[in-house]
Amino acid sequence: MNQSPLLDVRDLGKQVSGPDGPLTLLEAVNFTLLPRESVAITGPSGSGKSTLLGLLAGLDVPTSGEVLLGGASFSALAEDARAVRRGELCGFVFQSFHLVDDLNVLENVLLPLELNHIPDPLNRARQWLGRVGLDHRLKHFPATLSGGEQQRVALARAFAVTPKLLFADEPTGSLDHGNGARIIELLFELNREAGTALILVTHDAQLATRCQRHLCLEQGRLYESALESAQL
Amino acid sequence: MNAVTLRAWRDSAFRLLAAALFIATFALTTMVLLNAELAQRFAVRTAEFLGGDLQLSGSQPPLSQQTDALAGARHTLVVDFSTVVVHTDRLLLVSARAVDNDYPLYGVLQVANDRFAPAAARQRGPAPGELWVGDQVLDQLGIAVGARLTVGNKELTVAGVIRQLPDQGGGFYSMNPRILLHRDDLAATGVLGPGTRVLYRLLVGAPARAITAIHSGITSTLRPDQRLEQVADAAVRSMGPLRQLTLWANLGVLLISLLCGATIYLATVQRVRRRTRLAGLLRAFGAQRKQLVSRLLGADIAALLPVTAMGIALGVGTITLLQSALTAGDLDGNQTLAASTGDWMAVIFSPLLLWLAFSFPQLIALTRIPAMHVLQQRVGQRTMAATLALLGALSAPVVLAALLTRSLADLGQLLLVLAGLGTLLPALLWPLLKGFDLASQRLALPTRLAVRRLSRRPALTLPLMATLTLAMAVLALAGQTGHQLLTSWRAQLPTEAPNYFILNLFDRDRETLRRWMAEHGAQPQELYPVMRGRLTEINQVPVREAITKESNSEPEALNRDLILTQAARLPNGNRVQDGQWHTEDGSPITTGVSVEQELAQKLGLKLGDNLQFVSNRGAFHSTVTSVREVDWETFAPNFYFIFSPGSLANQDITWLTSFWLPPGDGARLAQLLRQLPHITLLDINALLDKAQGIVGQASRAVFLLATLLMLAALLVLATALLGGRDRRARDYALARTLGARQQLLQRTTWTEFLILGGGSAMCALVAVQVALYPLSERLFAGEPAWSMWQLLPLIAALLVVWCGVVGSRAALDRPSASLLREQGD
Repeated sequence: MNQSPLLDVRDLGKQVSGPDGPLTLLEAVNFTLLPRESVAITGPSGSGKSTLLGLLAGLDVPTSGEVLLGGASFSALAEDARAVRRGELCGFVFQSFHLVDDLNVLENVLLPLELNHIPDPLNRARQWLGRVGLDHRLKHFPATLSGGEQQRVALARAFAVTPKLLFADEPTGSLDHGNGARIIELLFELNREAGTALILVTHDAQLATRCQRHLCLEQGRLYESALESAQL
Repeated sequence: MNAVTLRAWRDSAFRLLAAALFIATFALTTMVLLNAELAQRFAVRTAEFLGGDLQLSGSQPPLSQQTDALAGARHTLVVDFSTVVVHTDRLLLVSARAVDNDYPLYGVLQVANDRFAPAAARQRGPAPGELWVGDQVLDQLGIAVGARLTVGNKELTVAGVIRQLPDQGGGFYSMNPRILLHRDDLAATGVLGPGTRVLYRLLVGAPARAITAIHSGITSTLRPDQRLEQVADAAVRSMGPLRQLTLWANLGVLLISLLCGATIYLATVQRVRRRTRLAGLLRAFGAQRKQLVSRLLGADIAALLPVTAMGIALGVGTITLLQSALTAGDLDGNQTLAASTGDWMAVIFSPLLLWLAFSFPQLIALTRIPAMHVLQQRVGQRTMAATLALLGALSAPVVLAALLTRSLADLGQLLLVLAGLGTLLPALLWPLLKGFDLASQRLALPTRLAVRRLSRRPALTLPLMATLTLAMAVLALAGQTGHQLLTSWRAQLPTEAPNYFILNLFDRDRETLRRWMAEHGAQPQELYPVMRGRLTEINQVPVREAITKESNSEPEALNRDLILTQAARLPNGNRVQDGQWHTEDGSPITTGVSVEQELAQKLGLKLGDNLQFVSNRGAFHSTVTSVREVDWETFAPNFYFIFSPGSLANQDITWLTSFWLPPGDGARLAQLLRQLPHITLLDINALLDKAQGIVGQASRAVFLLATLLMLAALLVLATALLGGRDRRARDYALARTLGARQQLLQRTTWTEFLILGGGSAMCALVAVQVALYPLSERLFAGEPAWSMWQLLPLIAALLVVWCGVVGSRAALDRPSASLLREQGD
C-alpha cells in the first residue's frame, strides 16, 4: 500500500536563546505519519516532548526544518493560517483537560465546531457527548465535573470536528489509575471508529505499546523505539 | 528609593494598588479640605453679616465689666444712629455709623474714590476728620468726593463712597443713605444727646470656645436694653445649592473610597497569590514571622508612603488653587487653609485606614501561612477569617464618610443611597445580562463568545457593570448639575439677573425710569410697591413677648423697619409651602399677608394668625394666609411679608425694582440720578460675581471628584482584568489551538468591552435621566435640562473599551504552546 503521509516531519529543529547562548531543544527530527496510524512519543522529562508536540501541531514554529500536514507545508504558514488548518484537520486532548470554565459541557464541545463553521453544530455536539456518556450533563459547568468526566468532554470536543489527526498530550496525566484506564480505552475506541491518526505523548511505556509505532525522544533527538508496539 | 522598594513597583498588581491609594488620598484630601473651606467661608459670611462672632447691642454703651469680660479678644464698638448731614443749605437724613480703627472685624469695606469709580477693598473705616458716604448722599446733595459736610457741630471731608459694608446684611432694612465716620469725631459732633435713637454694638471676634466663655460671662451682666447674639443665632441662610453640591461631593468621595478599596483588595489578592509560594518557602527555610513581615510588608509600606504624600500634596495644591481663585481681589483673603487639626489628621490617616482595612489583613495572613500549606498547595481557599476581614474592610469607607460629613443625618442619607445602589443596580442588571445571553444565540460568533464571557461570570461582571454605571452616572450628573447651576446663573446674568436695584421710586418717576431703561437697553424687572413698617403684635400680643415664649433669639427682621410689599403674582423663586397665594389665574382668592417660611418658623407664625404692623400712617392688621419658601440665592427682590393686592392702598408707597444694565459707561447711571436724584441705586454686580465664582469653583471641584470616581472605577476594571488575565490568556490560547484566528479573538475582546462599557453607559444614561428629574425639582425649580454633559457616559464607555482592550492585549499575545508548557516539559 503506497499511502501519502498525513504528517511529514523533515529535519525539524528548535533552538531558543538561553543565558549562556543558544540552547538546542530539538535537532534533526524526521518522521512521517500515515492516515489512521498511531504513534506514541515517549521520553524523559526535559527531553522536548511538549516542544515537539507544539511544533507538530503548529502551536509553535521551528527554527529549522519543516512540518507538512496533509501534503502541504504547515509550519511555514502564518499563525492564523496554521490555526485554520489545525481547526480543519486536528483535534487536541490535553493533560489538564483545558475546558473553558465559563462554558457548559455542551458549549465546550460546540466551541471548535463554531470556530470552524461546521454545519449543524448543536446536534453534532450532542451526539458526541452522548458517545462519551455525558448526554445527561450537557448544561453542567466544568467545575462541577470529575476529572474523568472533564477528560471525556475533552475527547468529545476533539472528535466532534472529525479530525484527521488527534494530538493527545499525556491524556491520563491528571487522572487516577482507574479513570485513566477508562479514558484510554475510550480514546482508542473513538480513534478506531473515526479513523483518525494519533500522536500520543506519554511517560507511560505500557500505554505507548498500544500505538502502532513508538518513537522515543532523548536530548532533543527522536529515535524509533526498540520496544514492540501493538498492532491495532 | 532602594532596590526592595523598587521591586514592589515591578509588580503590576502593586502599581494598580498604588494608583488606587493615590486617587483615594487625593480625593479624600481634597474633600476634607474643601469641606473645611466651605464651612469656614459660610461661618465667616455669617460672622460678616453679624459683624463679629458675638454681638452685644444696646441703647447705651456697654458696661466696663462687660468690656473686661472680653479677656483680650478682638473687639470693636460700633455706634449706629440716625442723624442729618448738611451741605450748604441742604439737609439729608442719614443712617450714620461711627467706627474705630478695629472695624470691621470680618470682611472688608468696599469703597470707591468717586461716584462711578470701581470699588476697592479697605480693611479700615475712615480716618478721623473723614467721612465716607453712600452713593445716594452724593446724588441727593449734588456733591462729589472732597466736599465738606457738617454732621452736628463738626465739619468732615467726604473721602470715600461706600459700596458695601461687610455687616450691612443681605436685606434692605434701612432705606436712609449711609455715612461712616470715625468714633473719635463722634463726641465733637454732639449729635448723641438724650433721646437720640442710637444703637451701640460691641462686636467680638474670637474662636468658638472663647466666644462661649465670653457669652456666659456677659449674660449675667445684661441690662434690659441689651441683647447678646452669636453667629449660630444669626445664621439666617442655608448654604442652598452649595450644600447640595457638598452632599454630592461627599457621596462621590465615599464611592471613590469604596472603589479604591475594592482595587486595593483585588490587587492585594493578586499580590498575595504571587507571593504565597515565597512566603511558604521562607517559612520552610526557617524565617521568623518578624522577618516575613519586614520582607513582605516593609517594602509595600515604604513604596506606598511617597504615593500617599503625593496624593495629599496634590489635594492641598488643588484646594490652595481653589482658595486663591475664591479670594482673588479680597484684601482680607486669608491665604491659610481653613482645615483644623482634626481635618489634617483625617487627611493623613484616611489613606492609612483604607490600606489597613483592605490590604493589611491579607498581607498579615500571608505571614501566618504554614509552610506545609504551601507545599501541599492548600492555599487560596477562602476562610471565614478572610470573609470577616473583608466585611470589616467595607466599614472603612463608612468611617471615612463619617469623618467627612460629621453629621449623622447626612451620613445616614449617604449610606442609604449607597446601600440602595449597591443592591438595586446588580438586581436590575442581572436580568438584562441574562436576557442578552439568551438573545445572543442568533448573533455573530464574536458577540456570542463575548456575551458568554460576561454573562457566565455574574459575580465579576455585575459588580463591575454596577460600578461603571454608577461612576458614569455620577460623572454625567456632576457635569450636568454643575453646568446647570452655572448656566442657570449665567442664563440669568446676561439677560435677566438684575445687577442694580432701585429704591425710593415714586409713581411719577416710573415713566422717566421706563424711558431711561429703553434708551440704555436695560432690562426691567417687576416693580414692587413698598412701604416701611414694623411687625409689632402677633395675635394681639406684643411681638417681643410673643416670640420669647417660642425662642430665645430674636430674628434680625424684628430689629429694624421692614420693607413691606403687596403683589398679585407670586414672585419668581417663591413657592407657597402652606396656605393659599393671594390670587389664582389673576382672580383674588385671599386677603391677607404671605410670610417667608424661615421667619414664620422663628416667630412661630401659622396660618390665620393676626399680625399688627406699624407704619408712619399708624397701625394696621393683616391675617397670615400663606407661608412661602423663598430662594434667597436668586438676587431678585425678596420680601419677608407680601400683602394681598390693595392692602397697602392707604400707605405711603414708593416703588422698588431691579433691572439688568449691560456693562458700559457709568455716565448712564449718572444721567438717571440727575433725572431722579431722590432714588436709591444699589449696585449688586460684585456680589453676583462673587456668588457665581463660588458656585463655579464648587461645581468644578465636584466634577473633579466625579472624574476621580470614574478613574477609580477604571482601576477596578484594570484590577479585575489583571486578576483574570491568566484565565483569559488560557482561553484564548485554547481557542487558537482549536482553530480560532487572532482576528476573531480580537473582535471578541472588542465586543466584550463594548458590551461592558456600552451597556454600563446606557444604564448610566437611564439613571441620569431618572436622577435628573428630582434633582431638577430640588435645585432648579423643576426645569429638567438637556446638555452634552449627559453624553459623558458614552465617552467614558470608550475609555472602558480602550482599557479593556489594552488590558487584554497580553492575553491575546500568549502563545498557544503555553497550554502544553503549563504541564509538560
